Amino acid sequence: MNKRNDQGDEGLGRELEGLLASVPPPKAPAWFAAKTLAKLRAEKAERRGGWLRIPQWKWLAAGLGMVVLVFGVMRWNHPTDGISDAEVFAALNSLVQEDEDRRWWAGL
Amino acid sequence: MGIGQDEPRDENLMAQIATGDEMAFRQLIERHQDRVYGTVAKMLGGTGPDVEELAQEIFLRVWRAAPRYQVKAKFTTWLMTITRNLVFTFFESKKNRRNELAVQALAGEEDFGTAREASLSRTAADELSGKELAEAVEKACAELPHGQRMVVHLRQYEGMEFEEIAKAMGMSLTAVKALMFRARENLREKLSGYFRASN
Repeated sequence: MNKRNDQGDEGLGRELEGLLASVPPPKAPAWFAAKTLAKLRAEKAERRGGWLRIPQWKWLAAGLGMVVLVFGVMRWNHPTDGISDAEVFAALNSLVQEDEDRRWWAGL
Repeated sequence: MGIGQDEPRDENLMAQIATGDEMAFRQLIERHQDRVYGTVAKMLGGTGPDVEELAQEIFLRVWRAAPRYQVKAKFTTWLMTITRNLVFTFFESKKNRRNELAVQALAGEEDFGTAREASLSRTAADELSGKELAEAVEKACAELPHGQRMVVHLRQYEGMEFEEIAKAMGMSLTAVKALMFRARENLREKLSGYFRASN
């Protein structure tokens, strides 16, 4: 980085700012909000319909049930005594927390 | 884009949106649509269906994220983070396509280098039409690398502080200032002919 930047000359400068100001960003079309809301409603309706007309939350519940079942069977067949449940849940909690933070900053 | 005294703050609107309030969502869109649409358009180098679709997707993400929204920074900074992520993902998905929107919209009949040389050879007596100047500025901005373009836009048109830009871009303050510095040097070089002509 050269000297000028280190000294805090951080903006674009008056000349460039003037040139850029002559080309302001375009405004959203008048129908933008209405179209976005229509898209939202369409998305909601689609989600309500779900796959094979079965609401999505039921699929999620069924999936979660399967995971719990498989996990339980695996634990039953291969009991582990190295790590306690509390340790596992603590680790999972911290992973979930970290993921939530990351998703929040990514706007998801 | 100022908020009147009687109007709810963005954070309050987000709380309403989290409960599924579409009217609050509409209000939020109307308040920030120019900011988001303008940013996407500047980043993509023009208006068009892609710009509209991306801008809409940004607001839909806001809707989806509303239940988990926490006030960790200014709302606009968060909004610009979403905008940046989506725009950069868009660029990433179009990386291998040579006819990226920015190039499409701005590819004139002649190469920019030729235009610049022409402008340099212009005598001071020649008049620059507003349209020609605007096109040159648009073209120079569109030719900036994505990061530099975003920093210039957020600083110049959104009036954001460097700290806010750093948060929105997920970068350090130093990195943002370095991007701005390089952008300025690039723009100066690309538009040098116009400086001379306007003097």
